[in-house]
Order: sequence, then structure tokens, then C-alpha cells
Amino acid sequence: MRQAPILVALAFLPGIGQAIYFRDKVSWQSPIPASEMVTVAQARAWGGKAIWVDARPDAEFEQDHVSGAVPLNEDRWNELLPRFLATWSPEKRVIVYCSSQSCNASREVARRLKDEAQLKNVFVLEGGWEGWLKSRK
Amino acid sequence: MAQVAKVKFLWRIVDLIIGGVFIYAGVIKALDPIRFASDIDNYKILPWAISVRLAFYLPWLEILCGLALIARRLYLGGLSILTALTSIFIVATIAAKIRGLDITCGCFGHASKNWSFTGHLALDLAILAALLAIWTHEHTCRNRLFRTARLEPVCRDIV
Repeated sequence: MRQAPILVALAFLPGIGQAIYFRDKVSWQSPIPASEMVTVAQARAWGGKAIWVDARPDAEFEQDHVSGAVPLNEDRWNELLPRFLATWSPEKRVIVYCSSQSCNASREVARRLKDEAQLKNVFVLEGGWEGWLKSRK
Repeated sequence: MAQVAKVKFLWRIVDLIIGGVFIYAGVIKALDPIRFASDIDNYKILPWAISVRLAFYLPWLEILCGLALIARRLYLGGLSILTALTSIFIVATIAAKIRGLDITCGCFGHASKNWSFTGHLALDLAILAALLAIWTHEHTCRNRLFRTARLEPVCRDIV
């Protein structure tokens, strides 16, 4: 049964090639560089200088959200992005959150805001909505 | 003989479908490895440093194994790797569900982000069932060849 190791080894060639091509475009040690994460305490300190973006599904946003947050999720990206951009201004920091530390949506929305909408000062909230709720107690 | 040809043709179709599914799944993920890394990381099983490296490797492994099934070269190797990958993926998906993780991706990477958990699982189990069926067919053919030193007509292309 030497076939499986051959395939396993062959797949390294394009994989390594692609990794070399992407070497400067990917963060190898953490999904988001520490400089793009923000704690609840830091985010609160920014006060009115920040716009909150809720990346959770609509139903969760409607249940409750950070006061003043704008909904922007991937399900309705094209529809919600213009509404978010209408509230955005260049001097404001953007804080994106999803349901918890383990969720992925805030990272994706933050990435798309940077890559597709060309925004700077986009941050992901550590702990997400759960972290926010804990800090309120 | 017509019956034998029909059976052989059906097994080739299964090979082509399963091989094609893995090639498609691999290409989608290879086109956006950073997103795929994020999808792997979402399962919270591996550290990011490993997830991101796997994201550059696994799509190509899927593509090569899919090609192996279609071209019938390194066939059993491709079949065993795809069976292992699918089994691991099913276990990881169920584990993520049990842990209450917000899984928004599946075996087709980010393209399947809107699928339900049940939809994911049903497709993965169907793929696993097809892979196991191919395994059983191959195993039966090879056993008969070993015992009788004679190839069954429906197994004619295994050597």
C-alpha cells in the first residue's frame, strides 16, 4: 500500500508553491494580528470615536445588540454594506463582533471590510457579544 | 456480457462522480486558502498555525485523490485517503455541533456556508457511503483474484 504515501507527498508540491506565493498575504501565527484585536475595555474607551458592527445573523441582532451597532453580516452583505457605509466616516474606528470568541463571522466581516471596502482601522472584538455581556454584569 | 458492461459502467460513473466532487471541493478551497484556513480554525480543534498550513495542503490532496479516482492511477491510495478525510471531517463536524460551535462551513469550504448542519452531514455521509461501496467492490474483486487467480469480468480493470 505505497500509493497513499505517494499521493500525500505529491500534494506537498503545489501546497508549498501556493504557500510561498501567499507568504506575505497570510498571518501564519494567529488568525488576526494582535494589533487588529480590541478588548471590550479598550472598545468602551473609544466611545463615540468608534462604530460598532454586528456580524451575527439578523435574528440575533434583533434580539439584542450593542447600543448603536449597525448590522452587517455575510448573508445580506450587498444589502447591508451601503447602510453601514452611510454611517461610516474615515476618522472612526470600526469594531466588529459576532456571538462569541469561537465564532468566525466577525473575522470574515472585518476582512471583507478591509479587502473589499478598503477600510482602515477595522478591529475585531475579543470575546464577541458574550464578552460584551460579561462586561456589562 | 451486456450486464457485465453495465455493472462496470456504473462503477466508473461512481468513480467519476466521487472524484469530481473532491476535485470541485479542492479547487474551491485552493482558490481561497485564507478563507479555508479560517473555516478550519472555526472548528477549534487545531491551533491557527496548523490550520493555515493545512489550508494550503488539504485542497491539493483532495484534488490529487479525486484525479486518482477518475484516472484509476494510484487508485487505492486515493480511495483510502479520501475515506479517511471524509471520516475525520464527519467526526469533526459532529464534535463541533456537540460543542455548540458556530460552524458555517463544510466540505465545500466557504461555498457551503449557508447549508444546515443536517444538510452537511447528509452529504458527507452519502460521500462516505459511496467511498465505502467502492472499497467493498474493489476488495471483493481483489480477494477473488487472489483466491482464484482469475479476474471476474466486472473487475477487469483493477490491474
